[in-house]
Amino acid sequence: MVNAQRDPLAGKIPVTLITGFLGSGKTTLISKLVRHPDMRRVAVVINEIGEIGIDHDLVTMSSENVTLLANGCICCSVRTDLQETLRDLFARRRAGEIADFDRVIVETTGLADPAPVVQTLVSDTLLAAQYRLDGLVTLVDALHGVYQIEHRPEAAKQIALADRLFITKSDMASAEAVADLKVSIREINSGAGVALIVNGEIHPDALTNLGLASARAGHATLSFLGESLTQTESAGERYLGARSALHDTSIKTLSLRFQAPFTWATFSAALELLATLRGPDLLRVKGIVNVEGAPVVVQGVHHIFHPPVTLDRWPSADIATRLVFITRNIEAAVIRNLLNAVGAVNMPPGN
Amino acid sequence: MLNSPSPAARADQTLSLNMKLLAHHELAGFGGLGEGISMQLTDDGRRILWLAHESAPKNFSGVDVTDPKNPKLIVQTELPHMKLRSNSLDVVGNLMAVAYQATTVGIKPAGVDLFDISTPEKPKLVSHFDCSGPHSRGVHALWFVDGKYIHMSSGASDFQPRNPLDDQFYRILDVSNPSKPVEAGRWWYPGTREGDTAPPPPRLPAKFDTGFRTHNTNVFPERPDRAFVGYIDGGALVLDISDMGDIKVVSKWNHSPPFNGFTHTVLPLFERGLWIVSDECVQDNGADWPKLVWVVDSRNEANPVPIGTFPAPPFDAFAKRGGRFGAHNLHENLPGPTSFRSDTIIIGTFFNAGVRVYDTSNPYQVEEIAYFVPGAPKLSPAGAIQLNDVYVDERRIVYTVDRFTGGLYVLELNI
Repeated sequence: MVNAQRDPLAGKIPVTLITGFLGSGKTTLISKLVRHPDMRRVAVVINEIGEIGIDHDLVTMSSENVTLLANGCICCSVRTDLQETLRDLFARRRAGEIADFDRVIVETTGLADPAPVVQTLVSDTLLAAQYRLDGLVTLVDALHGVYQIEHRPEAAKQIALADRLFITKSDMASAEAVADLKVSIREINSGAGVALIVNGEIHPDALTNLGLASARAGHATLSFLGESLTQTESAGERYLGARSALHDTSIKTLSLRFQAPFTWATFSAALELLATLRGPDLLRVKGIVNVEGAPVVVQGVHHIFHPPVTLDRWPSADIATRLVFITRNIEAAVIRNLLNAVGAVNMPPGN
Repeated sequence: MLNSPSPAARADQTLSLNMKLLAHHELAGFGGLGEGISMQLTDDGRRILWLAHESAPKNFSGVDVTDPKNPKLIVQTELPHMKLRSNSLDVVGNLMAVAYQATTVGIKPAGVDLFDISTPEKPKLVSHFDCSGPHSRGVHALWFVDGKYIHMSSGASDFQPRNPLDDQFYRILDVSNPSKPVEAGRWWYPGTREGDTAPPPPRLPAKFDTGFRTHNTNVFPERPDRAFVGYIDGGALVLDISDMGDIKVVSKWNHSPPFNGFTHTVLPLFERGLWIVSDECVQDNGADWPKLVWVVDSRNEANPVPIGTFPAPPFDAFAKRGGRFGAHNLHENLPGPTSFRSDTIIIGTFFNAGVRVYDTSNPYQVEEIAYFVPGAPKLSPAGAIQLNDVYVDERRIVYTVDRFTGGLYVLELNI
C-alpha cells in the first residue's frame, strides 16, 4: 500500500523576519510593502501600526490590533510579544475572525538580536506546529553600515544571521562606500545574496522563498544554502579575498564538504559538542548531511536546531555532506577535525 | 463598520489553508451531488471522475479530469422519474455500479444498475438488480472495489422493518457475472425486522431518531473477511463476513446516546489498529451539533475504545452560516490504482465548513493541516457551501462536491 505521509514543512505558514539596525529603513520598507498590490493574503506584524501611516481610505476592516487593507494585506501590531501575537493570529484565522493569510512578514525592532526570535519560532510548540521560518532579511544602511558593523555587535550579528541582505540608501552614499559595505558584508556572511533597494521599493517576492519549503526535493531545494553552496571549501583564509581586511569582525562564513557519509549519532554528537562549548559563537549552521545515504537538512542558530528534515531524495547527483557555518572566532579546521574525531570515536575497532 | 461580521461568518467568503482551487465545474447547471465519487482510468489513459447526483432529474455525470485544471463534462444521464435518486456509485475497471433509492417505499425501479463504461461517453447498461418492495426504498449507498462483490445499504422485497426508519440493512451482491448479480449474504441489526426474536433496540429521542439502518459498508482487500459498517443510530459495527451465509458481529461501538446518532463511515487504518469513524450532520443550523470524526483504538476487535476526536471546525464561525455544519464523508483509502491512500492523513467533508485535512500521526492529538471552504455557490438554497463528499487521487488532487448547486471543486493539496 502506498502510504502517503505529510510533508513536515510544506503545510506550515512561512514567516519572514525583517531586521536591520536603527535607521536602516525598515519602516520605509514596510510602509511601501503593505500597500503593494501583491500583498494579498500576507500578514505583516509591525511594532507600531501608527508609524507606517496607513490612510484611512485604504482600511477595509479593523479590529483590535488587526487591520485589513484594501489590497488584502493584513496589518497586525504586536500586542504583548511576538510569540503571543503569532499564536493569536493563527487562532483568530482559524476561528474566522480575521481574513486568511498564507505567509507572515515580521518587522523586528532595530536593536534586537534576531536569534531569540528565530529560537522562539523553533522551540514554541504551538508556533512550530503552524509556522516555519522562511528566512531572515537584513537591511543595512549604505551610509552607516560599515561603522555599525565595526562598532555595534548587534548590527554584525543581524548580517551574520541573514538569508538575504538589502543595502538601503545607496542613492545617498558614494559608490565606493557601497562597494566597501558589500565587502564588509561578504566578510561576515558570504552565502546570502546582497542587493540594493532605494526608498523601500521592493517586490514582495524578494522577501520569500528564502528557506527550505518542502521535504520533496526539487531543483531549487538547496537554494537556502545560498551562494556558499557553489563555493569551494573554505580553509579559513578565503574570506579575505583579494583585498586585505578592512576590519576584524571575527565573524566569518565557513563552507565544509565531507564525502564519507555520517551516522546520525556521529553528526549530532559533534554538533552538540560544538553547540555546548561554543554555542554563543556558533551563529548559524545550515546544510545537507549524508546520513548513511539519506539526505538530511539541518539548520540551527546558536544551540537551537530546527528539527532535521529528511528529503525524499537527493536534489542532484552530488551526495556529499555540505555545511555552512557562520561563526565567531572558530576556524574551519576546528570544525572539520571535530567531525572527523567524533566519527573516529564512533567507529568500532577493526573497521 | 462596527457591526460588520467577521470574514468567515460571511458565507460568500472563501477560506483556505494549504489548499488551492484548480478548477470549479458547475456540471451544466446540475451541481447538486450525492455521495458517490469514483475515478476510472480508461483504456486510452484518461481519468474519468464519475459523480452520483444528489437528486433527480440527473442520474450520474462523467467528468474528464486528466488535466485537473480543465475538467470536461463528457456525459450526464437522466433518471427514469423524479422520485428516484442515485446518490452512490463505484467503479472497478470499466464496470460501474450505481445505487438507486426512491423517495418512498414501493416505488420502482429501486436497486442497483451495472454499467459497462469502456466508452465513458456511452455507458451501457449491463444489468439491473431489483431491491424494491412494499417496505423498501432501494439502495442508499454501495461499495464496490474488488470487481466481485457489491456491499450495500439496501432494502429488500422480503424485508419488513418494525420501524419504517430501519428499512435498509447490509446486503452483499455477488456480481462475478455482471449480467446476473445474485445475493450472497445479508445482515440486519437484531430486533429491527418484523418477526425477530430480539427486542427492538432502544431509540434515540425523536428529534435525533434517524434509524437503525446501514450507511457505509466497506470491505478492504487487506481484510476480505471484515465489513466495516456505519449503522447510523446503531453505531459502528464490524462484521465477520468470512462465511457470507452466516455473518457475525465482531465489534460494536456506539457513542449515542449521549451523542446524537448517525454513524456514517468506519474507516480502518489496518497497520495502526485504529478506526476513523465519521458521523453525519443531518440538521441545519447546528441543531444536531456536535457531529464529529472519532478516533477509535481497535487493537482488540472485541473492545473498541474511543481515544479522541478530530478538532472540529469552530462552531461560532460556521453553525449559523447556512445549511448543515458537521462531519460527513471521508476519503476512504479505496484500493484502486488512482486512489490516495494514507494511514495518517485523513480528508473529510463538513458541509458548510468545507473540506478538511487532518494529520492523525498522533491519534490522541489529531491536527488539522489544511482546509478549503468555497464561498456560497450561486442559487444555493442553503445560502452557504454544503460539501457532501470527497475523493482524493494519488496525485493528491482533491475532488469535492456540493450537495445543492455548486458542482465539482478540484483542489490541490499542499501538505
